[in-house]
Amino acid sequence: MTNKFELSIISAESKVFEGKVESILVPGMVGDFLVLSNHAPCISSIRPGFLEFSEGTSDKQRYFVSGGIIEIINNMVSVLVDSAVARDKLAKEDITNLISEVNDRLTAADTINKDDLGLRKNDLEEALKQA
Amino acid sequence: MPSLKDLKIRIDSVKSTRKITKAMQMVAAAKLRKAQEAAERGRPYAEKMREIVSNLASSVKNIAGDNKFLRDGSDCKKFLLIVATAERGLCGGFNSSIVKLAKSRIAELASQNKEVKILTIGKKGREQLNREFEKLFIGHVDLSNEKNITIDTARKISMDIISRFENGEYEVAEIFYNKFASVISQIPSSYKLLPVSLNEKKSDASNVSFNFEPDEDEILNEIIPKSIATSIFSVLQENAASEQGSRMAAMDNATRNAGEMIDKLTIDFNRSRQAAITNELIEIISGAEAL
Repeated sequence: MTNKFELSIISAESKVFEGKVESILVPGMVGDFLVLSNHAPCISSIRPGFLEFSEGTSDKQRYFVSGGIIEIINNMVSVLVDSAVARDKLAKEDITNLISEVNDRLTAADTINKDDLGLRKNDLEEALKQA
Repeated sequence: MPSLKDLKIRIDSVKSTRKITKAMQMVAAAKLRKAQEAAERGRPYAEKMREIVSNLASSVKNIAGDNKFLRDGSDCKKFLLIVATAERGLCGGFNSSIVKLAKSRIAELASQNKEVKILTIGKKGREQLNREFEKLFIGHVDLSNEKNITIDTARKISMDIISRFENGEYEVAEIFYNKFASVISQIPSSYKLLPVSLNEKKSDASNVSFNFEPDEDEILNEIIPKSIATSIFSVLQENAASEQGSRMAAMDNATRNAGEMIDKLTIDFNRSRQAAITNELIEIISGAEAL
């Protein structure tokens, strides 16, 4: 049996998931990474995309997250996200809405933020393909 | 002595007032439950966010001063006071207690020759502060169209506040609101939003050195605006719950007072009626005696 650790996914409006898991695949800001138990303490930002974790059984759970932060400390992993939707409940419109929101801001934002927003848009479009 | 008819009208009018206050109390009670539930659901996120920020702030101590959000706020000159109140009145001392706290803070800052600016959230606070401090206003957030407070609302407010911070409009931001202690007690409180102070309380994890990805500065720039949005969100939620609690208590009082008033007026009414009857009898009797 592999080691398990605590995972809690919390969105601003409610707790999305809490329980023991074996591994999490996180869409980090600079690339996806996998977290197993006894991971070194770490704080990273999350880009919009799919977060995947398995509770030990073979089937994995996937959540679409719209960006946030992950904190890993002493086998306690907390994922703070703006919003999280389970894969099976996810409607493509959600992502499309997010994309159009980013588009609106792209046209309005000053040049400094354009790179960030552009990247965000790319992430969202990528996620839309996977959905 | 008012006439019988006048008394009757008074009683009826107080009765209908009582009906209204009773209804408002019940509506407030229902809304309070909802607001409390929402505040409770949001709490884990806010707590975790605070924990991460304090972990972060303590572990990046060596680069303190580099990040714009982590300045030491002791020698700042420009203050922004964010006063969060309700959109509606009829909720007891809810709005005026926040305004009172904000006013005393304004006076305190003014005596130290600091520059003060005010941003209000909610109509009632603006109305009360506008009378005295119209020149200090730099903004107002209208929540009258928001039935339930969402994180998006809070995010918009925080984006506004942060961009003002980045433009150098102010150096320290404090937010005033009513802390929800219990249904019957709300404590007007203030909370420093910006800059994030480095000596916030330590959690057990403060000795752990974290790996950052991408790097400390970027994480801070990502997290701090988020944590501000979260703080504003929880402030607004607490305020909403406090408002309903305060209104419920105020309306409960009003209902009770109306009840007492009705009792008193009814006694007056009965006395006057009896007096009128007695009077009439006396007149008849004395009339009969005179014959």
